[in-house]
Amino acid sequence: MIALHGVPTLNTERLRLRGFQPADWPRFSQYFCSDRAIFTGGPMTPKTAWRHFATNIGHWAIHGFGMFVVTRQDDNAPLGMVGHWYPHGWAEREVGWVLFDKESEGKGIAREAAEACVTHAYQSLGWDTVVSYIAPENAASIKLAERLGATLDEAAPKPDTSSTCLVYRHPRHT
Amino acid sequence: MTVAFTAPNLETERLILRPPCLDDFDALARFYASPRAEFVGGPQSRELSWRSLAMEAGHWVLRGFGRWTVVEKATQKPVGIVGLWHPEGFPENELGWDLFDGATGKGYATEAAKAARSHAYDTLGWSTLISLIADQNVNSMRVAKRLGARYDSDFTHERFGPMQVWRHPEPGALK
Repeated sequence: MIALHGVPTLNTERLRLRGFQPADWPRFSQYFCSDRAIFTGGPMTPKTAWRHFATNIGHWAIHGFGMFVVTRQDDNAPLGMVGHWYPHGWAEREVGWVLFDKESEGKGIAREAAEACVTHAYQSLGWDTVVSYIAPENAASIKLAERLGATLDEAAPKPDTSSTCLVYRHPRHT
Repeated sequence: MTVAFTAPNLETERLILRPPCLDDFDALARFYASPRAEFVGGPQSRELSWRSLAMEAGHWVLRGFGRWTVVEKATQKPVGIVGLWHPEGFPENELGWDLFDGATGKGYATEAAKAARSHAYDTLGWSTLISLIADQNVNSMRVAKRLGARYDSDFTHERFGPMQVWRHPEPGALK
């Protein structure tokens, strides 16, 4: 492996948001090859999932920002990915979230991590707006977007590759 | 803060091999959208080509080696992607070469692949190297022959279909 320098770590009350590590691959693969990934491009084959893993790391090298791996403060095991996503074809820069396992749901983990990423986008990355793209059937994600204070922006442009997704826009917390 | 990884550059008589970066996107997207990409997963949309470019960078970070953008010294333009490749599911470390439109017929694939192979053997210390070539890709087989590689076995690529495994001479045979 070659180190990817310059990826920050964000700390919240319970969580650490850090850069990808090669050891994250099994959990990443398990998630993206499962039905849980139906709203995030899956389920994928392991080979496609690996390409996506590498793409996530390369996104950092290209843009200087990307998705973080979410862990507990005292445990390096990956619980999910939350962060900043702007591949070619996206109409706007996005904050996205994924929990790898069902048992991580219902604990406010995605909310705590996503809040830190929205704040980071406005305060550190200097974005002037932040959206989340969510499949209309993804009720859990819609609920989280609303809890974060985001509102449906029906006039917003959609990603080139997804004409049906909903666009939620996050308010700036000052 | 800038996010970056450090990978080696290689230089040959006519070419510079450097890690892929965003400046290469248009050339890479044109290649993947063209008939020239028929044996390597194309034609492919610009969206997917961007993800491929990001994957090239991620491959370097995860594996410690990867493919270089080949830049023609005379024009400073990217003319192809050549290098060392081992995504999930590949049988072994691979040496691959893709030349963009207009860059063929000049011996660039052979010149760049030789430099990449020397890096694999002399710097990384590898003892063998294969190239995966689609069954119908006779141009690529010609390059493999020029590099001294020989047909070894068959391999089915998940997305590209049936391919041939060509094996390169081992390091001692090239001295």
